Amino acid sequence: MAVKIRLKRMGKKKAPFYRVVVADARSPRDGRFIEEIGTYDPNVEPSAVKIDADAAKKWLNNGAQPTDVVAKLLKDAGIEK
Amino acid sequence: MADRKTGKDIHKIVEQTLLYDFYGELLTEHQKNIYEDVVLNDMSLSEIAENYEISRQAVSDLMKRIEKLLFGYESKLHLVEKFENAKDKVREIRVEAEVIQDAVGENKDTDRTVLKDRVKRIAEISDSILEDF
Repeated sequence: MAVKIRLKRMGKKKAPFYRVVVADARSPRDGRFIEEIGTYDPNVEPSAVKIDADAAKKWLNNGAQPTDVVAKLLKDAGIEK
Repeated sequence: MADRKTGKDIHKIVEQTLLYDFYGELLTEHQKNIYEDVVLNDMSLSEIAENYEISRQAVSDLMKRIEKLLFGYESKLHLVEKFENAKDKVREIRVEAEVIQDAVGENKDTDRTVLKDRVKRIAEISDSILEDF
């Protein structure tokens, strides 16, 4: 089963925040995900990135594929395999 | 900095999300689905192409068209820009209000003219928020 690490928009209208979720590559639209490993909140100054580094590394090492945006967030947070 | 390959980064996504929140209802169902997949669900163009059984190029063209539409609405109506400005000003008001609250709460001889200035400033910011609309 291919697993991806994606961003998922949450939050009410005009006040979005995002979850970093690990999910089956085939089911991004139904909202189901395996695990939430972080959040990105642009509503605070400065924007707040929270990522569980251990969980992220675990998934990356298990072959989970981050999207371009998530890969950048992980890199900025200093998280590598 | 934006990714060269997809132009996707978190700041762009936030901007695209706000455009969608303000003008999304002006899009067709199909346009909404595609835009949601790219922006709100963080799917790649190839994944979307596969799901809808269309070419990656078709998805890319659709996205360009939708973006052009949304930016077109924003350049005429400036709703996102006005919203951002109002948000900044509300933040300023909160700061002023906190200063007043702290000063009053300390229960010492607060300089009343300073408080008056703060209140005046709040009134000014409030008026300028309404003028923007």
